[in-house]
Amino acid sequence: MLGKAFTRVVVLATTAALVVTTAACSDNPAPSASGDGGGGLPATVKILSIRQLTGPSSFAGTNGKKGMDLALDEIAAQKFLGDTTLEVDVKDSANSVQEAASFANQGVTDRSYSAIIGPEASAQATAVSAITQPAKMPTLYIQAGSDGVVTGDYTFRVTAPAASYFDIAGEYVKSKGITEAAVLYATDNPTLNQLGTKKIPELAAANGFTVTSSDSVASNAQDFTSFASKVTSSQAKAVFVMLIGPQTPVVITQLRRAGYQGEIIGMSAMGSGNLKPAGELAKGAVWPTDFTADQPAPSSQKFVEAYKAKYNGEVPNNYAAEGYDTMWFLARAIKEANSADRTAIQQGLAKVAAEGFDGAMGRLTFEGNDLRVEGVLAQWTGSGETVVQVNG
Amino acid sequence: MQAVVNALTSGSIYLLFALGMSVAWGTIGVLNFAHGAIFMFTAFLLHTVASGAGLSLPVLLVTGAVVGAAISALTQLLVFEPIQRRSPDAHRAELQILVGGIGVASILLAISQRVTQSVPFGFPPGTITVTSYDILGARVTNIHLIVVGFALVLSAAVGWWLSSSRVGLGLRSIGVDPEVATMMGINRRRLARGTMALAGGLSGVAGVLLTLNLGSIVPETGDAYLLKGFAAIILGGVGTVRGTVLGAFLLAAAETVLITTTSGQWVDAIAFALIFAMLLLRPNGILGHKEVRRT
Repeated sequence: MLGKAFTRVVVLATTAALVVTTAACSDNPAPSASGDGGGGLPATVKILSIRQLTGPSSFAGTNGKKGMDLALDEIAAQKFLGDTTLEVDVKDSANSVQEAASFANQGVTDRSYSAIIGPEASAQATAVSAITQPAKMPTLYIQAGSDGVVTGDYTFRVTAPAASYFDIAGEYVKSKGITEAAVLYATDNPTLNQLGTKKIPELAAANGFTVTSSDSVASNAQDFTSFASKVTSSQAKAVFVMLIGPQTPVVITQLRRAGYQGEIIGMSAMGSGNLKPAGELAKGAVWPTDFTADQPAPSSQKFVEAYKAKYNGEVPNNYAAEGYDTMWFLARAIKEANSADRTAIQQGLAKVAAEGFDGAMGRLTFEGNDLRVEGVLAQWTGSGETVVQVNG
Repeated sequence: MQAVVNALTSGSIYLLFALGMSVAWGTIGVLNFAHGAIFMFTAFLLHTVASGAGLSLPVLLVTGAVVGAAISALTQLLVFEPIQRRSPDAHRAELQILVGGIGVASILLAISQRVTQSVPFGFPPGTITVTSYDILGARVTNIHLIVVGFALVLSAAVGWWLSSSRVGLGLRSIGVDPEVATMMGINRRRLARGTMALAGGLSGVAGVLLTLNLGSIVPETGDAYLLKGFAAIILGGVGTVRGTVLGAFLLAAAETVLITTTSGQWVDAIAFALIFAMLLLRPNGILGHKEVRRT
């Protein structure tokens, strides 16, 4: 009897403790994000940043974080938000959709967070948006190019879709007088698949060249020798390689070793040092990108100088630029909102997006909640990248 | 002709990778899921050293064999042996070794991902000067020749060692009946460590040659080849070197035909459908022996 009574007491006490704890978690009356829309900025505005700092996409996560850290330094140094400090909690979601979703749940439940900067991979971002959009939590993404990421008023993407600035690649092919081109794309990546199957055929029609072959591989494929032989023996004088970053030096090496001498056109995955292992073999390869350190816009050059100063002369890549612009976009929205309230910040983001601003990627404008940039054509010199001017 | 050269090169890479895995699985019964990670990690360590020291190809190959052997032997000593000692029966030990291998692979993968940030890595350009030849209308490079040569020589050497040397015969007897082999005076523990070192050494050499052939790899490359190696062994037959050779080249040939004649989208699916068909029609593989159990 005593045993049963004791068990009942323990169960009741545990249940009560759980109820109290849950209530405390969900109604945390932290002053920084009270949710009442009250005016005035608190001393601290808390942001949750879910980054892929380890795993296959860590090159995007770590570089994005470096750009964000630089922006945070500048925001604090300029007293852009007066005496208010932005406090960013960084969580590593690695390669796990489940972890990203779990962090997003934590961010939504903990009322002290005013906004979330979401993960780079589309698979993780779609899971995060499914949680944050219904919960009315302002969420900003870099990369994450697939459908299902920008799902409503509270979700914003601060990386322009590659297709929106890819026309420059078609103009480049036309400027070289090329009439036949081959395509290789990663079939299991939504962005690359769309570029390979829709955008490049459109460019071909608009710029007077024919797609002679269109091949696809999985994004974990490493052996392109058969494709390289096929292209080399064809009439194609340009090849579009719409593959993920780590595949690009391999396919270029194999194309050149197979004797292919024509143009190689990729996408932004060729940046971020991914072509370094191919070295001189990749010399001349071009790719449209939203940022390269040589682009002439004054706001871009200001970012490049500040980045080099902070990181011992390191040249920033597109992920760092996207991270930097994302943090400044959020800071501008918080200033506009003059509040740490989530709804007010969403309205601030919408207002800043409507006006646009100058950032690391040049002039930033938005189509809905999705970024648009002019884009540039970058070229690999054998040891680094530079901007190419296309003469129509 | 070019397709034949491509199939031979791909098949040789699959063979180099699968050979060590096949020897360990077919003799001491260890299906090492860390084999792909050892293959990658050896190349990663050599890349780290070679970028500063500028090692020549022979030095890279020898060091690759030593490093791969050391990692694999350590895995046996620190992970698989304790599992085997604590498991109540051999079947459960096999399953636990699979999980242990995945654990070791995860650690090696995490370290290399952390250091490289998953940016591709390779050996310095001066490691080998690539020369190409025109043979019957096909373009062949010296790297192709080195890869195919190493694959054929190493598989012939391993095949001979297993079938003719005293140690190899002892090892094969463990694969047939471990209890009887022990009663006949064979030191299973020592042979298991030696076999794992051999498998790791082959994996290290394969890592160096693959990195040279592709120009660069990423930490995840080992996982992709693990699946191919596994498929080659199943196709040819577990525990037979000739089967592994046949499986590797058949898989590569099927893939090359598909890439050459189609858009390439169905390469993995159709290649694995062939393997599935093989499992249904001839479960022991093309050259595998039928298992005989006596009660």
